[in-house]
Amino acid sequence: MTENAVEFTRLMKRQGRFTLGPLSFAIPRGGIFGLVGPNGAGKTTTLDLLAGLGGPDSGSVRVHGLDVGTNEVEVKRRLAYAGPETNYAAWRRVGRAIDFVSGFYADWDEVRCAALLETFALERAKPIADLSFGEKNKLSLVMALARDPELLVLDEPTTGLDPAARQFLFADLLRRMQTDRRTIVIATHQLAELERFADRVALLDHGQLRLCADLGSLTERFRQLDIALPEAAEWPPQPGVRLIRRSGDRARVLVDREEARDDWHARLGGAPLAESALTLEELYLALVDNHNATAARVAESLT
Amino acid sequence: MVQDSLVLQLGPLSLAAPEPLYSQIVQAVKREVSAGRLSAGTLLPSYRALAEGLMVSVITVKRAYEDLEREGIIRRRQGLGTFVSEHGSDRSREAARAAAGAALAEAARTGVEAGLSDPELQTLLKQALLLLRSKQP
Repeated sequence: MTENAVEFTRLMKRQGRFTLGPLSFAIPRGGIFGLVGPNGAGKTTTLDLLAGLGGPDSGSVRVHGLDVGTNEVEVKRRLAYAGPETNYAAWRRVGRAIDFVSGFYADWDEVRCAALLETFALERAKPIADLSFGEKNKLSLVMALARDPELLVLDEPTTGLDPAARQFLFADLLRRMQTDRRTIVIATHQLAELERFADRVALLDHGQLRLCADLGSLTERFRQLDIALPEAAEWPPQPGVRLIRRSGDRARVLVDREEARDDWHARLGGAPLAESALTLEELYLALVDNHNATAARVAESLT
Repeated sequence: MVQDSLVLQLGPLSLAAPEPLYSQIVQAVKREVSAGRLSAGTLLPSYRALAEGLMVSVITVKRAYEDLEREGIIRRRQGLGTFVSEHGSDRSREAARAAAGAALAEAARTGVEAGLSDPELQTLLKQALLLLRSKQP
């Protein structure tokens, strides 16, 4: 049996002007895996390909060693997917959609389903057309969480959840982690929560994998430093050293200690003034392209 | 589910605290062991169970347990579970002493760099102690 729950191998998918990949990375079995990145980075496309909603242009996705393209039934039996795009409107009412979907799955738990409906304040009699965006997401979550799959895939599951419902969701996910059999993949913008609950994280940006690492390793691996350097000094690119901001004779840099040379700041002719670890959110902002430049342009346009 | 008492004993953990979550768990276990509220031989929950109880990732508790095991405060026995080790409380006390020593060394360095004299620094430490004791019941 393979150690990985999911393996993406040179996965590519074109959608209009957007190209995902080529992506190659693995999601180890038995943990909570976070997929983060800006809107349009390719998170949903990646999860859709994982759940077998559409096929890749090239490359492959394997779930527990099975190719998703050629083992659709077996993969769907082992996997549950919840995303904001899932549409159950054809079943008219919440209860009918649930009765229909539940019939397909041997791992469906009626008691758990009732508890989820109560927690999310969803009524079986309610017309699906009348559900708010958040309620549609909740219905989609009920469909996935009422099951006990080996692989649970959640796309933006906290959409429309209040803090108590989010807490309930994460408690549910951690309860599933009581064996090392189950794997959860979750795409989200809630980085502080992810940092608390996830074991490993991948950062996607512009369809490319920027980072894939254990969450525990990040605080040691990445540091942000402020350095003083002559105002006119050039900024030669260096491996593992990324300029976050520069103003006057100060520069804030992100250093990847796995890649940067020990003498990186000497080579810039600057001296470090302050150093700190980063939260996942700070690391995200430092790694994602042009975020600060765009924010600065917006701020300028407002004044 | 872990017994709630242990979860309350080791909590609260918060991202708002300056220390990372795993080291908050390490500190909490050391504090409880050092004070004798977790005695030698006590069976600790599996890291998966404790993760659920404390509402943190499995990797966070795993890392905390690894640190505690390396320092000899807890012991893992194959197939039996994780226990507070025989000398856990001594080790915790030693570790607490070493941590206090390091913090004081850092304070001394800051003081010397700021140009304070030895008597001035000693006065500051005495004042800090007085303030702390006056706040304790």
